[in-house]
Amino acid sequence: MNDPGKNKQSSSQAKELFDDSVEGLDAATLSRLNRSRQLALAELQQRRPFANWARWVPASGLVAAAVVAVMVMRGPALDGPGEFPVTASDFEMLLEENDLEMFEDLEFFSLLDEVDSAMNGNVS
Amino acid sequence: MSACEGVFAVSCTREQSTGAETLQRERQLNQFLAEIERRALRIAEIAVRDRDEALDLVQEAMIKLARNYAERPGDEWTPLFYRILQNGIRDWHRRQKVRNRVMVWFGRGTSTEDDYDVVAHAPDPAGRSPDQELQTNEAMQHLEASIYDLPARQREAFMLRTFEGLNVAGTAVAMGCSEGSVKTHYSRAVHALRDKLGDHW
Repeated sequence: MNDPGKNKQSSSQAKELFDDSVEGLDAATLSRLNRSRQLALAELQQRRPFANWARWVPASGLVAAAVVAVMVMRGPALDGPGEFPVTASDFEMLLEENDLEMFEDLEFFSLLDEVDSAMNGNVS
Repeated sequence: MSACEGVFAVSCTREQSTGAETLQRERQLNQFLAEIERRALRIAEIAVRDRDEALDLVQEAMIKLARNYAERPGDEWTPLFYRILQNGIRDWHRRQKVRNRVMVWFGRGTSTEDDYDVVAHAPDPAGRSPDQELQTNEAMQHLEASIYDLPARQREAFMLRTFEGLNVAGTAVAMGCSEGSVKTHYSRAVHALRDKLGDHW
């Protein structure tokens, strides 16, 4: 019963039968096996590093566009303090007593300004 | 070249080399699966006696191998693939057992053996006379039925050793047991088959 030669012979006979049956698989079955293999390889392709990197490209584009949009919207504030409309010299002028008298003769100063402009050839 | 450009260039080179390695791996895996798929299908088919179920099991094993073990050295793929496949077959038998129990409880007990038409699943002729073909088919039919009747572990050991040609160590990895157990299961399987097949063997 434990004859190794007989065991080997039986096994090789079984292997022969098995190989015959493998060779005889029909086209439909082989096609389905091929499809299964392609599915498995697609699984591998999804794990490709480039594919992972490429997956982030649209997201990166969106983030960049959002940053640009925020920069454009907040643009003026990012230009620095800018020129304050009222300066210290304006306050000084207003606080001087002599200059306050100027407001009492506005018409005179307006005429003076026009004459000055006419003489310089810069009539408005 | 600025530091940033330098880093980008290194990163791109690394990406390219990793991509090339992955493509190479993909080709190797494709070749491996193409070589093994038909034998794997027949092994699964003998174990579950249903070609469609066997095709599903093989597909599942292929996908799991690609997903989890593609980075492993190529010479480890065969035992790993069969380990996944054998686990799938065992799970399938467990599910069938539960299903049959439920069906019996509802009075609709079925036997998958009755549905299996071995002649319909017999291989096409390959240049043999009808007598030879019939003889071969009949022998394979007996062999398949006898293998199916073996205890699961003996069946696994026999098919992996004999049909797939795995060595004892590879079979042990595929079955998830010790090499000693593989030898025991295999030896018992061969004796049981010889007792059962008698003249056919």
